[in-house]
Amino acid sequence: MSDVVLPLLVALPIMISVLPLIFGLKYENAGWPIAMGGSLTVLALAVYTITEVAANGRLIHALGNYPQPYGIELVGDELSTLIVLLIGLVSVLVLVYSRTRGPYGNAFHSGYLLLTGGLLGVVLTGDLFNLFVFLEITGLVTYALVASDRSGKSAYAALKYVFLGTIGASLYLIGVGYLYVATGTLNMRDLQGAIETVGYTDPLIQAAFGFILVGFALKVALFPLHTWQPDAYAYAPDSVSAYISALVSTAAAYALIRISFDVFTVEFFLVNDLISTAIMAAASVSIVVGSLLALMQTEIKRMFAYSSVAQFGMIVAAIAVANETAVFGAIIHLFGHGLMKAGLFMAAGILAAVYGARTIDEYAGLANRSPFTAASIAVIGIALIGIPPSIGFLGKWFIGLGAVEAGEWGVAFVIFVSTMLTLAYVFRIIEKLYFDPPGDPHGHGSDHEHEHEHDGAATDGGHELVADTSAVTVGMVVMVVSITIAVVALGFSWELFFDLLAPVLERFFQ
Amino acid sequence: MSTDSSSDRPVREDERLDSDGVARQRPAYTESQVIMTTVKVVVPFVLTYGLYMMFHGAGSPGGSFQGGALVASVIIMIAFAFGIDATRIWVSNTILVGLATVGVLIFGGLALATIALGGAFLDYSELLILNAIVELPANEWAKWGMETIEIGGIAFIVAGVLMGLFFLLASGYDPEADSGHTAEVRADD
Repeated sequence: MSDVVLPLLVALPIMISVLPLIFGLKYENAGWPIAMGGSLTVLALAVYTITEVAANGRLIHALGNYPQPYGIELVGDELSTLIVLLIGLVSVLVLVYSRTRGPYGNAFHSGYLLLTGGLLGVVLTGDLFNLFVFLEITGLVTYALVASDRSGKSAYAALKYVFLGTIGASLYLIGVGYLYVATGTLNMRDLQGAIETVGYTDPLIQAAFGFILVGFALKVALFPLHTWQPDAYAYAPDSVSAYISALVSTAAAYALIRISFDVFTVEFFLVNDLISTAIMAAASVSIVVGSLLALMQTEIKRMFAYSSVAQFGMIVAAIAVANETAVFGAIIHLFGHGLMKAGLFMAAGILAAVYGARTIDEYAGLANRSPFTAASIAVIGIALIGIPPSIGFLGKWFIGLGAVEAGEWGVAFVIFVSTMLTLAYVFRIIEKLYFDPPGDPHGHGSDHEHEHEHDGAATDGGHELVADTSAVTVGMVVMVVSITIAVVALGFSWELFFDLLAPVLERFFQ
Repeated sequence: MSTDSSSDRPVREDERLDSDGVARQRPAYTESQVIMTTVKVVVPFVLTYGLYMMFHGAGSPGGSFQGGALVASVIIMIAFAFGIDATRIWVSNTILVGLATVGVLIFGGLALATIALGGAFLDYSELLILNAIVELPANEWAKWGMETIEIGGIAFIVAGVLMGLFFLLASGYDPEADSGHTAEVRADD
């Protein structure tokens, strides 16, 4: 009976998402408490699901009790519940953050909950067409949220995202259509056997995989299909950037892992050597070019956005390597990257709110003024490079190790190069924050630092640099710092992940 | 709420700039006997046809998407004939938001009710419990469950969202307007 938690996870946020609109007719500020209630519900259900799945194996819920493979089913296994937990965590964290930072308004909070529901649908569905529907829900709400501060730039970014995101979803749908023509089924568990019967080298199957892959490459923003992503992340409101950078591409990458290994299976990659080599090449280019482009940026949010292009390149490369270690690394990196990017974008949002600092040059000397936020950026940045102990290290390490195990030295080398490049751009930020003198010549002595530590918030009193202290609350800084601590603490927890994911990996690579 | 803010906004004849910065010479609304009479004649038939689509959607071609769209088109026709701003005030934001949101709640409510009764999500066979009130076979209950979703859920949502989108587009983009106003009838959910 515990499987009813799966439809609840998807349906509750979507149903709650209409409440801000209804209550908004009467109360101006109804949105935030309702969204918070919804997000906490999701988090509680996510924690329940992951404990349930860890104890008793995967949950399957047939919608409407229709017999399989005709009906749609929701499947919660160890991998999907891990991502569900990430979604629950990040939606609560970002909501605490957006309380003061905005966007405000009931429509935003409706969209926020709807996006949460859509992402949970992507992660939990066991049906390829149903996955398309949820991808579209996620996409449509993301376009709206990117433009939710109603500025011209964010409207432009959203429009670009609309065009490319729609193309991506359409390519995915074409791929699903080909699969349906070839096999006559859309249920993921059923397709696994059906594809084997048709044959892995059947042109229809190969074409289907190609379309699905390119569709998801657009959604996760691999080079050269990434062009929507830096604009969307850079021009969206800071809270929205944190949310979508942590979750939207993550859900698409999750779906790609799910389809690659649960639908097409590892046999497909073994038989179609050319396809895996091509994916590896494309992903490697994405890793290097993403890192290089990140290095060239002067705007902080844009730099983090290009860094995501590189990180997702790594995850896709791990899918093509297709062995247990690499995919394990990809899953850890998926989780870790979500946390790290949420933390980085939230921290960047705090500095932008207080000092108006949006470029690297404007970060000069801010470490003395906002020690907690600056330290968070530094620590998460170091985790992003892949320096232990951190979850960023675990992900990269296992992907690299898997590549070496599979004899793919090229991928391992590219990961190494990207680590060097990441080192370069992260240290540019750290150097500016800690070692460059701030814009004003005086007022960054050690006594000030103690003062900051006492009041806890990343605020500053009475210097020449204009600091808008009212824009930031203690809660926002606490959220960023707790993500930082989590990123480091999870660096010790690879056994936890391994125990959780062992059944999934066993199923993928039996 | 958005109706208040838009009614005291100057009409575009008064040199209000459109989003591309061009003052359009578009008349706001001209009363036309031909259009008004035509709409008055056509509207009852379109409304009936829309309702027919809705109610027969489960058993014959059609369905609530089409039916809801037809019902929304009734309001859009009235808006063209009698003035968009006047129609917006007449329909009222509350009804638009109410239609779309109540639709979602009916859909989800039925689905969750079958879970509460111990079945699966949208498990119509759980509706057999209502046999205590009316005696019906299982397939009839499945049909009535489907009709509830179609008429109470999807038709409401489609009609509400389409009307909301129409009024949103018609009100135009005003860069000076505060973000709260037009966003209230935002209809993508």
